[in-house]
Amino acid sequence: MGGKVTCTLGEVKNRADFIVYWGGNPAECHPRHFTKYTLMQKSQFLPRGRKDRTMVLVDIRETKSVKASDIFLQVRPGKDFELITVLRAMIKDRPISEAQVAETGLTIEQLQDFVARMKAAKYGVFFFGMGLSMTRGKHMNSAALLTLAAEMNAFTKFVAMPMRGHGNVTGADVIMRWQTGYPFGISFNRGYPRYNPGEFSTVDVLVRGDTDCAFIIGADPGATMPKPAIDHLAKVPTIVLDPHVTHTSKLARVHITTAPAGISAPGTAYRMDEIPLPLRPALKSPYPSDEEVVRRIKETLLKKPDWMGERPQMLQNQI
Amino acid sequence: MDLKVIDHATCTFCGCVCDDIQLHADEERIHQAKKACVLGKAWFLNHTAERKYPDALIDGKEATVDEAIAAAAEHLYQADMPLVYGMSNTTCEAQRECVEMADHLGALLDSHTSL
Repeated sequence: MGGKVTCTLGEVKNRADFIVYWGGNPAECHPRHFTKYTLMQKSQFLPRGRKDRTMVLVDIRETKSVKASDIFLQVRPGKDFELITVLRAMIKDRPISEAQVAETGLTIEQLQDFVARMKAAKYGVFFFGMGLSMTRGKHMNSAALLTLAAEMNAFTKFVAMPMRGHGNVTGADVIMRWQTGYPFGISFNRGYPRYNPGEFSTVDVLVRGDTDCAFIIGADPGATMPKPAIDHLAKVPTIVLDPHVTHTSKLARVHITTAPAGISAPGTAYRMDEIPLPLRPALKSPYPSDEEVVRRIKETLLKKPDWMGERPQMLQNQI
Repeated sequence: MDLKVIDHATCTFCGCVCDDIQLHADEERIHQAKKACVLGKAWFLNHTAERKYPDALIDGKEATVDEAIAAAAEHLYQADMPLVYGMSNTTCEAQRECVEMADHLGALLDSHTSL
């Protein structure tokens, strides 16, 4: 997600008067998002708090978040990309056909109102969730929305931010970007990082059976992935590091219990707007931390002869 | 038993990573997570310091951490195309170690983002 037009949640809290949640249900998945950052807070620029802000929810069905919204736009399932494309045409006054509007499941009046409000906003934000990024079109949907946010800057200030789930998944993106130049879906098999989601992304790798050993940390693919992927995990030696014995642990060859991060293991976690925050663990754990276990496995590996033989091409060996 | 109060604790349940939680904890468990939402409360209160699971399992049998680390390293070393995956519910420090390990192994490296 490098290069996206974005901001921090502090800016949203202080300045954003037009907030769009697209394909997400913050009321249930990020319960404090409204009160801490997007809707309820008062600021120098938005002295009346909620009354100074407009919230639009775009989703395929009515969720609990609808109650918190001013406007609810019910897009036809799988038509997010089409809707964003129509909006991109409309903000630039390009012609669109009735059929194109009808396809989105919304009326032209709704869209005209939405565009007028976007342009009238002082500071607009798109928060997009998995309803956009994990449905038909996938990363192309996210790319389209990021483009719309970028193009809106011809008229007013507009930004976009993904609503990240699972604790430190943002940190994983940031760390991989820092170390390899790419956020996910990486292969080191030529000795340097290559990026190709679809080829190197885990579900695809597992479904094709392209790996012969899996090291799983802080995740439970045994509970979330499609069956063919899980079947392959059970077939190859799988190693799991987790504070619990998970579904994946049960089909793994090696499981190591580790201290839960933030509860009894210290460290750093990234918020969804890429702000790093220190963890303050409250308990002592009888188990080692993830960091310690991974470091020890790595050190054990470093003692073994290089797998590339006489001419190791790894960067660390060339320096 | 001593009751500790930890101010500005950080919750890592969801992507909000709220850092204004006040935790009341003793040696065993967290009793209160003030300001946390329903999800955060469940996250803090459901983890305890007790030894609920074996230190490690190898092929379903209990083992020591040292044995499990040696076994894990051997599996990874023997593999032609190992995969390092996940890294969501862990710290940046552990993620950094994972990247270095994947680099050394010539492995595939991926997170939840691709799911």
